[in-house]
Order: sequence, then C-alpha cells, then structure tokens
Amino acid sequence: QDISAPASTVDAAEVVAESVADGEVVIDETGGFEHFGPDRILGQPTSADEDMLASMTFQDQYTANGNYALWMHDAILLPIIFAISLFVLGLLLWVIARYRRAANQVPSKTSHNTLIEIIWTVVPVIILVVIAVPSITLLARQYQAPPEDAITIKANGYQWYWGYEYLDNGGFEVISNMLDESEALSAGEPHQLAVDNRMVVPVGVPIRLQVFGADVIHSFAVPSLWFKMDAVPGRINEKILLIEEEGIYYGQCMELCGARHGYMPITVEARSMEDYNAWVAMQPGGMTRAQIQAEDAAAAAPAPVEEATDDGTEEGEAVEAAA
Amino acid sequence: MATTAEGFDAHHEDHAAHDHADHKPGFFARWFMSTNHKDIGTLYLIFAIIAGIIGGVISGAMRAELAAPGLQYMGMIVDMMGGDGSSFDQQGHMWNVLITAHGLIMVFFMVMPAMIGGFGNWFVPLMIGAPDMAFPRMNNISFWLTVAGFFSLLFSLFVPGGVGLGAGTGWTVYAPLSTSGSVGPAVDFAIFSLHLAGAGSILGATNFITTIFNMRAPGMTLHKMPLFVWSVLVTAFLLLLALPVLAAAITMLITDRNFGTTFFDPAGGGDPVLYQHLFWFFGHPEVYIMILPGFGMVSQIVATFSRKPVFGYLGMAYAMVAIGVVGFIVWAHHMYTVGLDVNTKMYFTAATMVIAVPTGIKIFSWIATMWGGSIEFKSPMVWAMGFIFLFTVGGVTGVVLANGGIDDNLHDSYYVVAHFHYVLSMGAVFSIFAGFYYWFPKMSGRWHSEFLSHLHFWVFFIGVNVIFFPQHFLGLNGMARRYPDYTAAFEYWNQISSYGYVIMAGSMIIFFVNIGYALVAGKRAAGNYWGEGATTLEWSLSSPPPFHQFETLPVIEDHHSADDHISDRPATA
Amino acid sequence: MAGAKNHDYHILAPDIWPVVGAFSALIFTSGMVMLMHADFFGEGWRIVLGIGIAGLIATFFGWFSKIVNEAQRGDHTPVVQLHMRYGMILFIASEVMFFVGWFWSWFDFALFPSPLEYLGDNRWQNVIGQDGAAALLSFPPEGIDVLDPFSLPLLNTLILLCSGTTVTWAHHSLINGDRDGLKKGLWLTVALGILFSAIQAYEYSHAAFGFGGSNYSSAFYMATGFHGFHVLVGTIFLAVCLFRTYKGHFTPRQHFGFEAAAWYWHFVDVVWLFLFIAVYVWGGWGAEVH
Ligand code: HEA
Ligand code: HEA
Ligand code: CUA
Ligand SMILES: [Cu+2]
Repeated sequence: QDISAPASTVDAAEVVAESVADGEVVIDETGGFEHFGPDRILGQPTSADEDMLASMTFQDQYTANGNYALWMHDAILLPIIFAISLFVLGLLLWVIARYRRAANQVPSKTSHNTLIEIIWTVVPVIILVVIAVPSITLLARQYQAPPEDAITIKANGYQWYWGYEYLDNGGFEVISNMLDESEALSAGEPHQLAVDNRMVVPVGVPIRLQVFGADVIHSFAVPSLWFKMDAVPGRINEKILLIEEEGIYYGQCMELCGARHGYMPITVEARSMEDYNAWVAMQPGGMTRAQIQAEDAAAAAPAPVEEATDDGTEEGEAVEAAA
Repeated sequence: MATTAEGFDAHHEDHAAHDHADHKPGFFARWFMSTNHKDIGTLYLIFAIIAGIIGGVISGAMRAELAAPGLQYMGMIVDMMGGDGSSFDQQGHMWNVLITAHGLIMVFFMVMPAMIGGFGNWFVPLMIGAPDMAFPRMNNISFWLTVAGFFSLLFSLFVPGGVGLGAGTGWTVYAPLSTSGSVGPAVDFAIFSLHLAGAGSILGATNFITTIFNMRAPGMTLHKMPLFVWSVLVTAFLLLLALPVLAAAITMLITDRNFGTTFFDPAGGGDPVLYQHLFWFFGHPEVYIMILPGFGMVSQIVATFSRKPVFGYLGMAYAMVAIGVVGFIVWAHHMYTVGLDVNTKMYFTAATMVIAVPTGIKIFSWIATMWGGSIEFKSPMVWAMGFIFLFTVGGVTGVVLANGGIDDNLHDSYYVVAHFHYVLSMGAVFSIFAGFYYWFPKMSGRWHSEFLSHLHFWVFFIGVNVIFFPQHFLGLNGMARRYPDYTAAFEYWNQISSYGYVIMAGSMIIFFVNIGYALVAGKRAAGNYWGEGATTLEWSLSSPPPFHQFETLPVIEDHHSADDHISDRPATA
Repeated sequence: MAGAKNHDYHILAPDIWPVVGAFSALIFTSGMVMLMHADFFGEGWRIVLGIGIAGLIATFFGWFSKIVNEAQRGDHTPVVQLHMRYGMILFIASEVMFFVGWFWSWFDFALFPSPLEYLGDNRWQNVIGQDGAAALLSFPPEGIDVLDPFSLPLLNTLILLCSGTTVTWAHHSLINGDRDGLKKGLWLTVALGILFSAIQAYEYSHAAFGFGGSNYSSAFYMATGFHGFHVLVGTIFLAVCLFRTYKGHFTPRQHFGFEAAAWYWHFVDVVWLFLFIAVYVWGGWGAEVH
C-alpha cells in the first residue's frame, strides 16, 4: 500500500554518503564519525521465527534499572502469577473431579471456616509484600536524580515525528522521521523502527532525558532501555537514562497522538563519548563540552562571574573523564 | 427463610396462574413506554446484544488489519465511510476511530447495559421480592438515554473529527488530542454520547440503590440479600459517585474545544494531565462497574450448581464493598508514565495491589463453595468456572501492571490490551454468558440447547484465549497499542491472535443459532428448572414470571439458627 | 393487575415521556454540536436546538405534572415517599461529585500553577522550559484582576444564607399549618434566589477578565457558572412549590415536593459556601483586585 513518506524523510542509501537538504550533516568524513550499521542493533523486538522464546518475553535490557526490573519481572512476578493461576486452575480441576455430582451425591452444608478465610486473606497479603519490596526499590532507583553534570537532551514529540534537542551541546535540534519501507530495508533496518536521523547519545554516562510534547501528548518509549516517559504539552518530564552498551536501540511513540501515532519511531544510537563529541561537532550549531568550556572560559576571563559555571562546565570534564 | 422455592409458591397467591397479573399493554406501549422492569431489562439485553455484535464486528475488522504488517483494509473502510481511502492519514485516523468505537461500544453499550440494565433490571426486583423498581418511569428513561447515547456515537462516525471522519481519540478521550488535536464535530458527538449514556446510568444507579434499600421483601435483611443484589448495589454506588466526575471532565473538553476555556490547554495554564486524573478517577471505578455484577452472577451460579450455600457469604459481600471503596483511590495506576513523582507512584503501586486481597477472597470463596458440593456442569456453571480461571489470569497480570516501575515498560503496550481483555472480554463476557444461560429460560420461558451452550463455551474459550494470550507476548516484546501497523517481528503472534478471532466468531454463530432455536422451538421451561440448588426468589415464580409479580409480597421467614443467616439463600430448604 | 395489588409500591402505567425526554436530550445535544460547528452544519442548529429544548421543557413539564397529579391522587404512599427521599439524596450526592470535578480543576490550578507569561488581551503563554519560567509561577496568573470577594460575593453569600433561613421558615410554617407563613417564606426565598442570580449576572458582566484564555477564568466561570445554573434550577423548583402552595397541594404531613426543593436549595447554598471560600477568597488571595 501507499505509505506516503512523512516530511523530510531521507533516503537511507543517500545517508551513507552525503549531507542532506535540511543542512544537517549526517556523515562527515573529516570528523571520522560514522553511524552504526545494522550489525550494532541491540534493542529491538525479536520475531518468533528467529527465537520463539525471545519473541514471547521482554527485550534484553541495556540499563541497570532495566536489568533490575527485568529480574524483578522474571524472577518474582512471573513465577508468582504463574503459580497463582495454576493453583486456581488446579483447585478448579480438583473440585471438578472430586465434587462432580457423580462423585459426590450429597453436598456438604459447610459455609464457614474462619481459619481458611484468614489464611486466604493473609497469604495474599504476604505475597503482595514480597512483590512490593523490590517494586518500591525499583521505583526509588528509577527516580534517582541525574547528577548535576549529566548531559541534558530533550526529546520533543511532534505530530508525527521526534525532535532531539541537545541542550548542553549548543542547543541544536535533530529532526527524526521514520524511514519508509524500502529505505529501511535497504539500510538493513526494521521498517517502522528505523529513522532518518537518529538520536545519538553518549554511552556509560548519565543522561538527563527531558521529554516534551509540542502539540498533543506523545510518549518517548524504548523497551530495551526500560524507558517510557510521556511527552506532555506544557510540562517537561525528566528522567535519568544511563545506557551501558554502545549500540542501536529502537523505540516508538506509545501514547495515542493521532493519525500517524504508529509511524513516529525512535532510534537511539549510543556511542562512546569520543564518537558522541565527533557527532556533535558535525551538527550545525553543535558544540562539545570542551568547546563550550573554552568559550565560557574566554568569556569569563575578563570579569570572572558565577554565570560561567551555569551549564555545568567543570562537571562536563567529569563526564568526559568518565567516558 | 424456611420456604423452599416450591413451598414458597404455596403460601401466596401470586402465581402465573393468576393471569390478571399478566395483562400486558399493546406493542407500542409495552416496548416504547415501558414501566415494567422485566420488559426494560429485555430491552437492555436486546440492545446489548446488538451493540455487542457491532463492537465485535469492529474488532473483527481490527484483527483482520492486524493479521499482517502493513495497511490492508483501512483504505477500503475509509472509502466505505465516505472518506478518501488513498490518504495515508485518513487510513491511520480510521484505525483510531475503530478502536475508539470498539472500546466505547463494548464498555458503555454492551457490558454495562447487559449486566446492570439487563440482568440488574430483570433480577434485582425478583431476587428481593419486589413488584418492580422504585422508579419505574425513570427506569425507562435510563434505557432510552443509553440508546440516545449510542445514536450520538453513531453520528460521530459520519462527520469530520480531525484528519478524517469520526472520533479517533481512544475511549479515554485524552486531551489535547481530543481538543486542539481533533477539529470538527465528531469528538463533540462522541462526548455527548458519554453524557447521555452517563446520565442514564446515574439515574439507573439511584433507582437500583433506592430499590435495594427500600423494597426488599419483609424479612430480607441486607445480610440475607442474594449476592447478585449486593453486587448491583455496590456497582450502583460506584456509578453514582464516579460518573458525575466524568461528566465534569468531558464538559471541560467541550468548553475547551468550543468556548475558549483552557482547562487542558497549557497555553492558558491548563494541564493535560488534569484530564487524565479526572478521567481515571472515573475510569478505574468504571472497570469494577463492569465486573462486580459478574461477580454477583457467578456467586449465584456457583452456589446453585454446587447445591451449597455460598461459602463465606458476608466475606463475599464485604469484599465487593472493599473493592468498590479501594477502587476509588487507585486511579493513577493508569498514569504511571505521565511524570508522577516517586512518592505518588509508590502510593498508587501499593494501593492498587491491595485490591488483589478482596478479589482473592472472592476467587477462593467460589472454589470453597464448590468444595464439598455436588456439582452439576450445566452451561451456566461451565461459563462461571471459565470465568473464575480466566479472570484470575487477567487479574494477576493486573498485579504485574500495578508495579509502577514495571509498568514503565508495559504501559500502552499489548500487555495491557491482553490484561484488560482477560478481565473484560473473558471475565465480564463469560459472566454475561453464564448469567444469560442461567436465566434465559426464566426470562423467555423456553429452553436453549444445553449442547449448543456447551459447544459455544468450548469454542469461545479456545477462541478468546488464542486471540488474547499471544498479546501478552507482543506486549512484553514491546508492541505498542493503538497501532494499525507494526514492524515485521510482531507478525507471528498477531497472526495467531487474528486466527483466534475466527474461532471466536464461529462460537458466536453457535450462540445466535442457540437463541434462535430456543425462541422458535425451545422446550417450555418450568418455574425452577435448575432444581434444588436454585433458591433465590426468582425461582419461586413461573418462567417467564407474570407481568407483575409479587402483588402480595413474599415473606422471608427465619426459622433457622443464627449460623444460617449468613448465606445467600433467602429461601433455603 | 386490577385489584390484585397488595402492597404500597407504585406500579405505573406505560408512559411516553421517558422516550420523548431521552430523544429530546439527543436532539438537544446534537443541536449543541451543530451550534458549535455552525461552519460545518450551517444554521440548522436553530431548529434542532429549538426542538431539543422544547422537547426537554415539555418532558420536564409533562413528567413532573404527572408526578404532582399522582401525589394528589394519593399514589404516594409512605414507602413511595421514602423512595423519593432516597432518590433525592442520591441525586444530590451525584451532584456533589459533579462539583468535585470542578473543584478538582480549581485546586489543581491553584496549587500547581503553570509558568505563564501574560501576552496581554486575555492571552497567556506557557513558558515551560524557557529561562526564568519559575519566576512566573502564580495563581491567579499575572494579568488577572480578581473580583473583590468581600464586596458582591460576600453580599451574595449573605443572600444565600438568608434564603436558607427563609426556606426553613417556610418549612416550619408548613409543618405547623401556617399557610400564610409558608407563602411568605417561599416568596422571600424565590426573591432572594432571583436577587442572587441578578447580582451574579451583574458581576459576570463587570468582571475584569474574560471567559476563556486562562486556567483561572476557565475554572472560575465554569464552577461558579454551574453553581449559578443550579441556583436557577433551585429557584424554579421553589417557584413551582410556591405555585403548588397556592393550589393547596401541601399538607403538614405530606409535602415531599417542598422538602426536596428545600434540600436542593441547601445543597446549592453549601456549594456556594465552598465556592466563596475556595474560589473567591482563597483562590484570589494576593492577586490584584479589580
Ligand atoms: C473488568 C475490568 C477490569 C478489572 C477487574 C481490572 C482489574 C485490575 N486491573 Fe486493570 N484494566 C482494565 C480493566 C480491568 N482491570 C482496563 C480496561 C484497563 C486499560 C484501560 C485503558 O488504558 O484503556 C486496565 C489497565 C490496568 C492498569 C494500567 C496499565 C497501563 O495502562 O499501563 C493497571 C495497573 O495497575 C491495572 C491493574 C489492575 C489490577 C491490579 C486489577 C485487580 O483488580 C485484579 C485483582 C485480581 C487478581 C489479583 C486475581 C485473583 C486474586 C487471587 C487469586 C488472589 C491471590 C493474588 C495475589 C496475591 C496477586 N489495570
Ligand atoms: C468489554 C469490553 C471489551 C470487549 C468484550 C472486547 C472484545 C474484543 N476486543 Fe477489545 N477493547 C476494549 C474493550 C473490549 N474489547 C477496549 C476498552 C479497548 C481499548 C480501546 C482504546 O484503545 O481506546 C479495546 C481494544 C482492543 C484492541 C487493541 C486495539 C489497539 O490498541 O490498536 C484489540 C486488538 O486486537 C481488541 C480486540 C478485541 C477482540 C478481538 C474482541 C473480541 O473478544 C470480540 C468478540 C465479541 C464479543 C466477545 C462480544 C460478544 C457479546 C455479545 C454479542 C453480547 C452478548 C450479550 C448478551 C448475551 C446479553 N480490542
Ligand atoms: Cu506520537 Cu503517538
Ligand atoms: Cu485501573
């Protein structure tokens, strides 16, 4: 069928070699930055043909919180809900076999048993406590405030594409549209997950990811990073994201946002700090922390005032060191 | 409480034989001007079946579309509805229109009318030994407002609602998609549809509460009331207190859309998240509104076919009260990703999980009712047992979702779709079919085929499980809901899910054949056709009951020891 | 059914008003949609909305006339009167929840205001994410000159409180068979109700802020406006009672129609007290007064 290409879609084939019409340099030979190819895809759904079991469960996780959550689901929740469901099924089968009319002509008149009623009240309470403890722990971890020096990136949801604003790197915005089917496939990427301009982020350092909705509510969701945050007009939602491995992670808009809600995917490309800086340097208006720092220092030199540290310049070093 | 159903007939004269009670008005007056709770109940049931067919057919179109990646049928449907099928945006919009219509129809025009309007109207008065509802005339406008609401929803399909025809906001009608995001009259029609149906439900709720509090037969204390009546009582309170908040919320949508207010428009200091709070303050109680009457029906049925009083009657009644009360303070578990602060999320996680406790009490009490019983697997019982298992499956995935940190991944994925279809399309719908087969001969006076009813059960059971179980996998693996299309990796389970629909559809044909057969050629049903186990008052009447029953009120005597008060058998042997 | 009825419940004959009422409501709401989208539907809304409103008025009139006639005929046995008490209380409970929705929005805006910048001309802009946003947090937002709560709103509070006493006066007169006192009390109550509405209308038309544009004005007008609508309904309800008094309908023992009106009136009164405290006094605290 005809999927008319969303605005400013870029042909994947062209992406490899040249800069695009809207002025964004996607590949810059001189900077030495090259986007990852499909071999570096880490976060994506698995098809059943490839791996039946993997197609039935969560995607592999690439953040610490994601792994904790995954553990909590796989080791606590899933066994518990299976056990409860099977227990109830077992009881049903037992009464079917044991108390069917043929097997039990005379019904008992029992309609009370305080002890058993207490048990089936208290045991679920205990089970829920067992669930609640890691659950609350998980929440507490997810809400750890990003450190001062975290790199701030703002994901703006638009009808129907994403824009990634690099607030700590000069404030440029990368507009990201879905690739159409042939483009995606020729780039070796899954259709409806692949985009023209990826959201490039540094790996191994905390990112302060802000999410904002420009028109209606969208939701920035990347399953393999256990990350989902609604993009609500009029408020900025913020959450820490720390990706552990270099690679490509696919996500999608997960709040109904109109006609093309299904067609505004997210591709996160996590790169080493070096690569990240190289990429930033290629963006129009893009500045690495070192550049910002140098500029600030220059500006601050004649009259050193506090403002100089406003965007966390010193901390920026720490981040780069960590990378 | 010493009278058996049969003995009960003996000492009051209100029997079918007294045909003065059976004098019925003419066709128009009977069906369009009704003040008779049984006729109004019948109208509700017919309406629910029609709505269920429409909602089910829409879900068929949805499953067909999702059977394979890409857009297959949307263009065709857009063309059919009078839009431009070649427009990509209109195709996407049409998807949203379909899911919106499906959700709204199933919730407001199938489950609620069937359970509360249909079975509630028919059997609450009968079970408490009342001649009719407290406000028979108001009862009728409740029904017709529901019909009016349905019409308003239908109107919305034919007028612009954004990039295409119809309201494509999802059944949750979130702002600002539903305000600035959907220009055109469609969303206004859809909102008024909720206003109309909601007004009908509020009036119905006052009617049920008044009836249950004031019209119980002499001797029937609250603690002797059948559990189905308890369930409708709690449901009515939820309706009464939750729906007006929805009314306020959607009125704000209307004024934001048309009169320049900025409740949900940040440009004027409004807050889109406020809408979600208001909606879910209604919406979560709403999901219990859709299941509590089912709980009630299952309790009656399990007791009847086990030939035992319900185990832990009081616990059962108060568990429903507890579910109703706690149901009002858990709403934000639908909003874990909107940017709540950590304490709020922790609170809603804990509060939500609490509901598993009273629900567990119900599940285990049903099983304990069967325990030691002499169980007969008539069709209602089979559906009720199916309910108990499948509702448990849906309930425990709810507990998974309740964890705010886990829900970060699952929210708005197919895992949620699977969860709520297990509790709705299986929980609520299984209980509706259980109640239907339980009472159909009572209502119509004719027997359905028990064979076809069992066949319906097994095919439906397999069908819906094939539809919805794989959706858990899709959700876990990251498939987003409200998508007409998906990446190739999701194809396998989607395809299986769509096959399931075909199986399910086959079972529905069996259902309709069965009703058709019963109405045309069904054997006559006796007054108490389930026999010994069926002890509530409706079984003391003929099938169908006289047009006006209980013209002399039944008296619920109490010859038994204190221990026996606590059973839902007002007229036990 | 003839003669067989051995209970005091009210079994009613079939009635056309419910279906007329429901479809009038549908025509009314559809007319509203047509009005709100006259660009799409043209002027047809005038007819549709007209028919809807006429149908609704006819329904209310026809329906309540029937109830009154049934009451006069003696159909309202004690248990039926009890039903009506329950019905009225539950209806008021649902109304309370309706206002909960409006107060919710009010408190949301007042307690968690958005960073707004006044653009002039009753327009605001959310400056979230822009520098200095936090400085602009205020409720009512910058640019709103609130009504002085201790001027007309206070007067209106006194008027409503006063009308609460007059309606009680009427009730006591009714119970004690003092028909004259009943009439006086009711006349006064109706008059105070009308006075309240008039003052409210006057104040709306002189407020320094328009209807839409800001969270403050939206929540203010919709909350107080729905209250005003309820005052109107209550006034009509009381006026009907006054009319029925002249017709000699109420007796010291049976006059639930009057009591329902009085309950409703008290409910409207209480809502106002909350509005006065939360919206007029607390909600406008610290803002520029018009
Ligand atoms: C009939 C309707 C119904 C019912 C009964 C329920 C019941 C429950 N629901 Fe569900 N729910 C919906 C209908 C329903 N839900 C709908 C329609 C949505 C989606 C709305 C939308 O977004 O469109 C939804 C969404 C939804 C969400 C939001 C998901 C999201 O959008 O991210 C959550 C999160 O907490 C949730 C939780 C629960 C819980 C904890 C219960 C509990 O009440 C379940 C309790 C039952 C059991 C637990 C099983 C029996 C108990 C035992 C056998 C005892 C032992 C058990 C334990 C110790 C665990 N539901
Ligand atoms: C009670 C509620 C209910 C029921 C029964 C169903 C039944 C079904 N639903 Fe529905 N569904 C919803 C409520 C319900 N759904 C809601 C609220 C949504 C969310 C919408 C949104 O996102 O906004 C949704 C969304 C939804 C989606 C996700 C769409 C998306 O996110 O893009 C899908 C996809 O497969 C789906 C499929 C189905 C199917 C195949 C059935 C089949 O099981 C249908 C088969 C039909 C029946 C089982 C009904 C038969 C009943 C009768 C004929 C009446 C009988 C009456 C008497 C006997 C009195 N539904
Ligand atoms: Cu953007 Cu959904
Ligand atoms: Cu909920």
